Amino acid sequence: MEAPPVTVMPVTGGTINMMEYLLQGSVLDQALESLLHRLRGLCDNMEPETFIDHELVYLLKGQQGNPFILRARHSLSHPTVPWHLRYLGQPEVGDKSRHALVRNCLDVAASHSLPDFLNEMGFRMDHEFVANGHIFRRGALKVVVSKLSRVLVPGNTDNTERLSLSYLVELSVLAPAGQDTVSDDMRSFAEQLKPLVHLEKIDPSKQRH
Amino acid sequence: MSKCRLKCRSKQQREEKQLEASVDSLISRVAHLKSALHSFIYKLENEFERLEWPSVLDNFALVSGQLNTINKLLRNEKTPSFRNQVIIPLELSPDRDDELAKLTEQRVPVFSHEIVPDHLRTKPDPEVEEQEKQLSAEAARIGPEVAQKQIQTLNKLCSNLLEKLNNPRDDRDPETAAMRQNKPSFNPADTMALVGAVAFGKGLSKCRPPGPVAPGHPGQGPMMSGGPTLQQVTIGGASGQPGGKMPSSIKTNIKSASGHPYNR
Repeated sequence: MEAPPVTVMPVTGGTINMMEYLLQGSVLDQALESLLHRLRGLCDNMEPETFIDHELVYLLKGQQGNPFILRARHSLSHPTVPWHLRYLGQPEVGDKSRHALVRNCLDVAASHSLPDFLNEMGFRMDHEFVANGHIFRRGALKVVVSKLSRVLVPGNTDNTERLSLSYLVELSVLAPAGQDTVSDDMRSFAEQLKPLVHLEKIDPSKQRH
Repeated sequence: MSKCRLKCRSKQQREEKQLEASVDSLISRVAHLKSALHSFIYKLENEFERLEWPSVLDNFALVSGQLNTINKLLRNEKTPSFRNQVIIPLELSPDRDDELAKLTEQRVPVFSHEIVPDHLRTKPDPEVEEQEKQLSAEAARIGPEVAQKQIQTLNKLCSNLLEKLNNPRDDRDPETAAMRQNKPSFNPADTMALVGAVAFGKGLSKCRPPGPVAPGHPGQGPMMSGGPTLQQVTIGGASGQPGGKMPSSIKTNIKSASGHPYNR
């Protein structure tokens, strides 16, 4: 038996293999207000939550094979809160019976020295972006509506340029592996956002080129 | 000639009989209505504390049903037109008439010149008559052209209002109105661009110099088209080397998991 994969290695003593179920879509800037209005009605009654995050994507390249990717994220609006380190596995989109994209997911809170630590480990930053937007929740479902901006001068998050005239809309749930029923809940929720937004199971590998 | 007179008389008799019968049936219907109203008013005045709303509605339904039957009776072809019958007061007297009082349940004790115009009235009330007179005077004052114009304006207003009521979702709700114009609220190309950006940094400026990895494959390996799926990466040596800038050995295993649902 080889060493267990990173994704199932103990994190804080537990070995829960969490999967992220994901549906994605986008909404044009001019329809944003309508979408937010609808989400406020559909989601749990809570204070509107907004965020401005800076995400840095790190690669660790070996001699051969594929690089290993980690995502480091930190809030620009709340600089004191911990950084967030995330590993995402290969997305699985082939299963037709499943209504959402599924991928391994590992979330860890980290200290502010995370970028230095990753650099020391041999990781190198591949790209970075700034995401700002709104978070909604309904039970376990999470809806993130965010505007993506590219960072024009590396490391300077004040100088950004928006990527497109649309907001990215992501509907996600974290669940232990095998709980495919959550994807049914996601689909029924996504139905309620039509025709404003079409949340779909999008195979990201098709977007590579 | 005499035959004709006989015929006329028999016709007259028949008509009289018919009139009498219809008046009788009308009286009985009105009596029913009166008793229903009476019991309803009694209930409202004395039993209002335990009167249920459904029973109030029942009473209303009863009254309205009886009014309907009376209307039906009046409209019936066999009922002679009461409008053609003339009632003439033969005698007026300021004295009390007990017989009359009994007939009218003490409502009309005397048949005097004071009350007869009210009870035998066939025209509207004086106030209503006054109003009607004013209206017709006004109508006469307006010329036919002006009247035509006003009719047209009113018709226009009515049709506009009807149109609005028939299409209640237009205008009122700007959101749905926008939707009706089929204004798209999303752009599939934008979706793809954004998904590519979060997944691989597509369209985002690259910070690193081109490395050993081919630029065509900056992120994860091409997994979707081929058979192998779960990518397993183990980092060896890095944890055991304090201060080592680069991990000495990185083992990358791509395992072809045959039992994976993707291969099914």
